[in-house]
Amino acid sequence: MTITLTLKQAPAVPLEAEVLSPDVFAELSNAEIRALIVYNGKRQVPLEEFFDVDGERSDELVLHGDLTKVRLIGRGMSKGSVTVHGRVGMHLGAHMKGGRIEVHGDASDWIGAEMKNGFIHVHGNAGGQIGAAYRGSLAGMKNGTIIVDGTAGLEVGMRMRRGTIILGGQAKDFTGLQMKGGTIILMDGAEIRTGAWMNRGTIISMKPIKLMPTFAESNDSNPTFMNVYARQLKRFGVNLPFAASEGIYQRFSGDLAVPGNGEILVWQPA
Amino acid sequence: MYWGGNPAECHPRHFTKYTLMQKSKFLPRGRKDRTMVLVDIRETKSAKASDIFLQVRPGKDFELITILRAMIKEQHVGDEQIAETGMTREVLDDLVHRMKSCKFGCFFFGMGLSMTRGKHMNSAALLTLAAEMNAFTKFVAMPMRGHGNVTGADVIMRWQTGYPFGITFNRGYPRYNPGEFSTVDVLVRGDCDAAFIIGADPGATMPQPAIEHLKRIPTICLDPHVTHTSNLARVHITTAPQGIAAPGTAYRMDELPLPLKPALKSPYPSDEEVVRRINAAIAEKPFWLAEGSQPQMITNQV
Amino acid sequence: MLRITGGKVYDPANEIDGQIKDICIDDHGQIVDSVDGGRTIDATGMIIFPGGVDVHTHVAGGAMNFARAMTPEDHRRTQAFIRTKNRRSGLGGMAPTTFATGYLYAGMGFTTVNEAAVPVLSARHTHEELADIPIVDKTTLTLMANNEIMMDQMEAGEYERAKNVVAWYIWAAKSYGVKAVNPGGVAAWKWGADAKQLSSPIAGYNTLTPGKIVTMLATICDDLGLPHPMHLHCNNLGAPGNISTTLDTLKHLEGHRAHIAHSQYHAYGGDGWDTMCSATAQLAEYFNTHPNITTDAGAVLFGDTVTITADGPWQHLLYKLTGRKWGNLDVENETGCGIVPYTYRPSNLVNAVQWASGLELMLLIKNPWQVFLSTDHPNGGCFWRYPEIIQLLMCADFRKECIAKLPDKIKGRITLPEIDREYTLYEVATSMSAGPARALGLTQKGNLGVGCDADIVIYEEEDDVARMFSHPRYVIKAGEIVIEDGDIKETPEGREFLVKPNYAPETHEFMRPLFEDCYTMQFDNYPVELERIENPVMQPLKLEK
Repeated sequence: MTITLTLKQAPAVPLEAEVLSPDVFAELSNAEIRALIVYNGKRQVPLEEFFDVDGERSDELVLHGDLTKVRLIGRGMSKGSVTVHGRVGMHLGAHMKGGRIEVHGDASDWIGAEMKNGFIHVHGNAGGQIGAAYRGSLAGMKNGTIIVDGTAGLEVGMRMRRGTIILGGQAKDFTGLQMKGGTIILMDGAEIRTGAWMNRGTIISMKPIKLMPTFAESNDSNPTFMNVYARQLKRFGVNLPFAASEGIYQRFSGDLAVPGNGEILVWQPA
Repeated sequence: MYWGGNPAECHPRHFTKYTLMQKSKFLPRGRKDRTMVLVDIRETKSAKASDIFLQVRPGKDFELITILRAMIKEQHVGDEQIAETGMTREVLDDLVHRMKSCKFGCFFFGMGLSMTRGKHMNSAALLTLAAEMNAFTKFVAMPMRGHGNVTGADVIMRWQTGYPFGITFNRGYPRYNPGEFSTVDVLVRGDCDAAFIIGADPGATMPQPAIEHLKRIPTICLDPHVTHTSNLARVHITTAPQGIAAPGTAYRMDELPLPLKPALKSPYPSDEEVVRRINAAIAEKPFWLAEGSQPQMITNQV
Repeated sequence: MLRITGGKVYDPANEIDGQIKDICIDDHGQIVDSVDGGRTIDATGMIIFPGGVDVHTHVAGGAMNFARAMTPEDHRRTQAFIRTKNRRSGLGGMAPTTFATGYLYAGMGFTTVNEAAVPVLSARHTHEELADIPIVDKTTLTLMANNEIMMDQMEAGEYERAKNVVAWYIWAAKSYGVKAVNPGGVAAWKWGADAKQLSSPIAGYNTLTPGKIVTMLATICDDLGLPHPMHLHCNNLGAPGNISTTLDTLKHLEGHRAHIAHSQYHAYGGDGWDTMCSATAQLAEYFNTHPNITTDAGAVLFGDTVTITADGPWQHLLYKLTGRKWGNLDVENETGCGIVPYTYRPSNLVNAVQWASGLELMLLIKNPWQVFLSTDHPNGGCFWRYPEIIQLLMCADFRKECIAKLPDKIKGRITLPEIDREYTLYEVATSMSAGPARALGLTQKGNLGVGCDADIVIYEEEDDVARMFSHPRYVIKAGEIVIEDGDIKETPEGREFLVKPNYAPETHEFMRPLFEDCYTMQFDNYPVELERIENPVMQPLKLEK
């Protein structure tokens, strides 16, 4: 049993809808769901003004429509699932503690920002600040997994502490900025300043990337954790090579400016 | 050290009034007691005033500052990496030595740093370098801000809302997220359905999609002059020019408030008076929240 | 007009200790003998205090505003004030916004605050911020102890000139008194140095020492007849073993009035972070034998806060210790300040000693007219947590529970476990209102006698002291009910108290060339215009001596 929400009309100004969360919907009747308050700009309106709601009392949400201007979906959720068919707006799954979010379409900035746990999969492209710390916060995502099949924007994983971010497409600048831990996997590389000011954590790139001048090449290796890691990632459909016959990971450490103990592994096929 | 700024042409009083020429108690010989370094991508007129001019490769400011952060901590950075920024080891060794052995260092950074690729992170890099230099000697950093009294707006927003800019009040209290709520981003994405512009000319400076949105929505502009923005606005209220015909306070870029004493009279009302009258008119209308309703705070953030 | 009947009144200024007494308020917001008509509040079963007076806090000005910008992560998690018809929006937390500051202070029954650190250069700004803090009345103190023009006069032995300069500055800033922060140390910080020894010359000077500044400035404040004596933040703040500096400083104050700010930060023994311990017993002993000196606790509460002080060198050290954010401001040749967010943790031995020391001072100094409630907001904790401190002072059992949670190694480093004293309501009223008002020379505050300002707080008596003091039933400011049952009813503007000390008329022209020599703004633009102060009230000088 799922609850299906279909966008009736695209809002002209942003629609803040943190109520679109399994935690909120789980115990509510259809009428109660339709009456939930969302913020269209500064105006408080019932959810039904923008959505047709089908179903009730479930922690599985399915959303349809162009939700580009709908923000804060799945914010702070701890269980259940949200599936979106269409584009989705900012802060998707920010602060989430558990459950799954899947987007068949593009997403915007701040996906999974400061999340504690859970799983987010965006099949299209995403914006910037994925799994990042909000401005001024000391730490970004603390655990969980974010997968984006397509490209991503600036500052992916900024100040993240733990967890995994996997990008199928290319990321823009400052991927892993001030990272404190966790792993970022770049299947298609990134633009510039990857790993800038990182303290700890690991960035793995399957394509050659432009490194900061403050990273030093330490040694080439296929670290032992790679095969453990590669096996874990298989269940997300990600294939990370690890056999010595296939190639080798060039290892860089930095950022010397901090000075930090982060590592960037760049795949060199045999 | 000036970084990415051209004070000789953009802030012409800066050298003479503040940084280079002044004779003072502890620097009695004025210019002779000071060392000026200019870092920029091209040799501007300011280079003539400098003792040392460092021509950084375009787009390599962040890298160069990060290298300096490493070098002051005696971390080894490769020659090749240094060369990519347009510098040599000798030049940077000398610079680091001068920075560490000066008595009081000051960075001034301009839009050549803060508005080029990397933007706020370029500024953050220089601020961090300044902070870290205090392990060796006294160092500070300050932005060379452009428009008149932008610092004043920033200061007042901070005391009233806690944030300098990029604020939304849609839930009845201030929330902050530059990139989401900052003016240019709101306009480019078309997130607002009205605009009220005071003391600025975004029609001349903002990217085209932002200008297009301003044209689409009801835009109200308060300005003493006819500007690009007033031309595209639905309503232009002519106001008295601040500091010339209207009194007030201007904040210098070091956040020092200076009183403005008008020299002339204007037939037009001041910005303040117009805003007060608009406010009074709004107060006559029904309150924006329905009786008994209260917006929900965005909570569960730790 | 308003009449409050049936309540138990605690009015230490008039030695009223819990007697049931009616209080009448006229239409001018003053307490009178009787009124005809108007509203009556039945305060039967309730407790009546004079409105709280914060003798030392930082609520406005360049440094606080810098701290606001530095801590968006705190703003996001803190209590927000949502705009209503009679209330503006704002944010509480470590560095509250101006409107929220007024609501939060009034919300716990405080009606007067002393902004304790204003550089003259940013006084114009500070007054504009204060005008945006509703409800409460304010005073400001001008930072003087590192002002180079004054220091030059002191170095030259020109006492009269130095006095005139100080008086001129106070009026230029439209302020209420003098604050001295780390005398000589902030000036030395511009050389990357500090001033830890009272008898060593200050960097940049030949003979001038911090000790000389302390004595001269205290003398100047006395001679000018300022209602509030010199308000001193001693040298060597926060450092283990700094008790010797503090006692040495106090010796320089013999025969003078003075207020020692946040003395908790100046009462440590030991010779390093590993051996740091409380030395409050020695300091309290000094206060107990020297009634000419008052102090405020500068108590520490565990949790997150942001530290803001003119003590630049200390803040740089704290930045290096925490590795977190750091802001530094230099205010030309007048002063500077540093800002560092900080978390006090009970598991941290140094923090635990600090927590105990603040309470020890409040409990070991016998006379509540000498030691006042403060956290040096926001340095030791946020002002809106004062009720937690009152609970710790009033309930020895609760205190013991809290001590039990500290690390074992705390044993032998603090004296708090041996103290059984519990504050009475009368002592709390003295420490949070009557005492600070008297120390500030605000005779119309902290006093429920006839002719005084009708700033009154009424609590529903209950056993949970922290709850009681954080949720007053009524708060009355200048005769107007501003808080009722936890709701903000009215948000009137507050007033600012100023003094105009006498200085030789030629001082202005004496200052001009010195000023033009070292300042970067126009001399004539420097003094704050009286018209810029919202609701100024001139407070008389104490010139009889």
